[in-house]
Amino acid sequence: MKFSRLYLTFIFFVLYMPIFYLIYYSFNSGGTMHHFESFTLDWYKEVFADTRLLIIVLHTMIIALLSSSLATIIGVFGAITIYYAKHRWKQTLLTLNNVLIVSPDVIIGASFLILFTIAGIQLGFTSVLLSHIAFSIPIVVLMVLPKLQEMSPTLIDAARDLGANEWNILTKVILPYITPGIFAGFFMALTYSLDDFAVTFFVTGNGFSTLSVEIYSRARQGISLSVNALSTLLFLFTLVLVVVYYVITQRASAKGGQK
Amino acid sequence: MDDRVIIRFNHVTKQYDNDLPVLDDVSFEMERGKFYTLLGPSGCGKTTILRLIAGFIEPTKGDIYFHGKRMNNVPANKRQVNTVFQDYALFPHLNVFENVAFGLRIKKIGKEDIERKVKEALRFVNLEGYEQRAIHEMSGGQRQRVAIARAIVNEPDVLLLDEPLSALDLKLRTEMQYELRELQRRLGITFIFVTHDQEEALAMSDEIFVLNKGKIEQRGTPKDIYDEPVNRFVADFIGESNIITGTMIDDFVVEFANQQFACIDRGFAKNERVDIVIRPEDLELTTVERGKLRVRVDSVLFRGVHYELCCYDTYGNEWLVHSTKKADIGEEIGLHFEPEAIHVMKRSGGE
Amino acid sequence: MRRYAYAIPYWLWIGLFVVAPIILIIYYSFFDIEGHFSLVNYETFFTPVYLRMTVNSFWYAFLITACSLLIAYPTAYLLTKTKHKQLWLLLIILPTWVNLLLKAYAFLGLFGTYGAVNALFEAIGIGTKQLLFTDFSFVFVSVYIFIPFMILPIFNALEKLNPSLIDAARDLGASEWTTFRRVIFPLTLDGVKAGCQAVFIPSLSLFMLTRLIAGNRVITLGTAVEQHFLVTQNWGMGATIAVFLMIAMASIMALTGNKKWGVRQ
Repeated sequence: MKFSRLYLTFIFFVLYMPIFYLIYYSFNSGGTMHHFESFTLDWYKEVFADTRLLIIVLHTMIIALLSSSLATIIGVFGAITIYYAKHRWKQTLLTLNNVLIVSPDVIIGASFLILFTIAGIQLGFTSVLLSHIAFSIPIVVLMVLPKLQEMSPTLIDAARDLGANEWNILTKVILPYITPGIFAGFFMALTYSLDDFAVTFFVTGNGFSTLSVEIYSRARQGISLSVNALSTLLFLFTLVLVVVYYVITQRASAKGGQK
Repeated sequence: MDDRVIIRFNHVTKQYDNDLPVLDDVSFEMERGKFYTLLGPSGCGKTTILRLIAGFIEPTKGDIYFHGKRMNNVPANKRQVNTVFQDYALFPHLNVFENVAFGLRIKKIGKEDIERKVKEALRFVNLEGYEQRAIHEMSGGQRQRVAIARAIVNEPDVLLLDEPLSALDLKLRTEMQYELRELQRRLGITFIFVTHDQEEALAMSDEIFVLNKGKIEQRGTPKDIYDEPVNRFVADFIGESNIITGTMIDDFVVEFANQQFACIDRGFAKNERVDIVIRPEDLELTTVERGKLRVRVDSVLFRGVHYELCCYDTYGNEWLVHSTKKADIGEEIGLHFEPEAIHVMKRSGGE
Repeated sequence: MRRYAYAIPYWLWIGLFVVAPIILIIYYSFFDIEGHFSLVNYETFFTPVYLRMTVNSFWYAFLITACSLLIAYPTAYLLTKTKHKQLWLLLIILPTWVNLLLKAYAFLGLFGTYGAVNALFEAIGIGTKQLLFTDFSFVFVSVYIFIPFMILPIFNALEKLNPSLIDAARDLGASEWTTFRRVIFPLTLDGVKAGCQAVFIPSLSLFMLTRLIAGNRVITLGTAVEQHFLVTQNWGMGATIAVFLMIAMASIMALTGNKKWGVRQ
């Protein structure tokens, strides 16, 4: 028992140490990540004064919100398509759906790069947005599909029995029922988009950048504590997101679930 | 055509792919305002008939008529038929009121009318005051009532009930049997009730259809079916019975267990092999001397109202007896029965 | 017909972003750097340089997966024994929501010559070591990044395990170790497989880590793809490597069974 507690403590320590290490040195006036001179907020001021960085943050947000919204819409209908598909097709569709989830990022990035070049789409905002939508769709599908499958098929029969046409069934029965899955899918897509580096790195052009790509290029130049300050802010933002997500799913399951 | 007929099946077959048909060339008529029960083991085709009437599936062959009009391809949402589902299929995201109002809202009925009709339907099933409850706050029996209210609020000509009582416990089930029967009388519409529980069928129906392997074995009033089963399957499925093979010696004389007995059946060929049914409650315990059959008691179970005795005669036939008198295991006893208690049936093909 | 209209965007997505990219990659692998049709890329791939790189990539991916599994299984197991396990699980997941590059960046500081780890080594008398730009640091940081994705499916599998099965095994006389080996582990194998998939495949494409942490000392197939596409502009060669990565990926999927493809929840 003692050993197990020690083990878990160690795991959690290792998991969180790098993050708190970053946060700790974001207040260091010394300029390095190994010698703490004195407390300062200068790095935060630098972040907020860096318009280029702020624009990149804005771009990242826009890409994340737009791509996850669109991916959610397409993914929900994709899940419904798979749900209604005949048995043999269902397996094929699921396999195709999961290709992008199991592919290494470099392959996704490289193949999309070829695709955009051939299609004549300029690398930049559009190509990054399309890529993010593309790799988020299967995640949404995988979050929504279990909800659909757990729905009793008699629910649809019941609606039809009560006079509902296909449109009524979709809007009054299916969509309300799978709402928790839709939310989960949306948030998953959001985090995948915010987190993605490899795919974006391939399909982004010169003029356009997301946070991940920007951090990469800054990190390659060595340590700069404004990156620490930025990561502290991002970590706080993530925490807020987690809490929001938690509250929403709790409320949704309290409302929708009955088991 | 008789205008009391509301549903007519004309040589209807339902078959999936190249499997055996789940419904095999079935024809029947159902009348307005009656309580029908489709009874049979699982996979006999009873639910298929229900789904064909509801419009969830289409027949492979044959025609279905409502009020004399062919309805084969009319989709479920355009039929004057509503269903109470086995798992109730209540919408978990809607409260009681909205569940009941679902069909009315689809029909775009005015707000006040909806309010009035929903209230009325809920009063009908004794659920006044539960309008704002969430479905998961309702008990099994209450959900059952909501499902019924949701169906009858649309004023269907026919109400289909797909084993609606199977999820309830025994006490509630008996209660709901009375209530459903009462509800059908008050509404005056046709109920078609699907079940595999013979007691339920006997207690509630005007008419029972006994189904097996996609065919109707027998249709008739509960009394007909109980007293005069047409074959071994029906006799076995409806109630506990002693079924043994015998020979029809002549009109009114039948032989089984190596003895000849007087009976009330006639019209069989001489020496035709037949199936004999005697219900356990028609067998009377008596002394060996006075009994028509001599048996040895093998086991005794106390069933509350009566004892259930399992006995064997000297030829190895098993005799189940329901009696208020007790007998000891291993004891030799006599069994007495009246000629009317013997039901003679044509032998069915299988088995 | 209207019923199928809503599926059009999804079908378009499958066509344009799933099927077309695979075909394009295969198509491009048959062109040399000048754009002439040839099999030269495949010839190049079967030279010792690339074969060694392939073996290396899989060796590292295997190391990373094995280390993750060895650390993650006990962690997941012990987590299921804690009170408030959902909260602890959330704390395991939380670091995955921190950008991967920030975590890699943190290790630049931690593993630096004057960083915290070397300060610790100094204090306990081991002395300063070169940590950054070594194979060790690459594997360590990779394991660090992937470990939650290994813990999660194993945790879920353990949670789904019916506890009376363990009681039954004990009741039938199995020791704790035998119970684990014969009952618990086989029944959570699906979770282990899912975890291995979730770690092995992405670890083939960690080119940013090889650049930041391993200082180009470790060159994996992923790094090579990036190199060919973005630096040397030899798309044909990059596509050829990608084709082999896809084949590898497909065989891994087939090998570990494709029932529950790494669904993260």
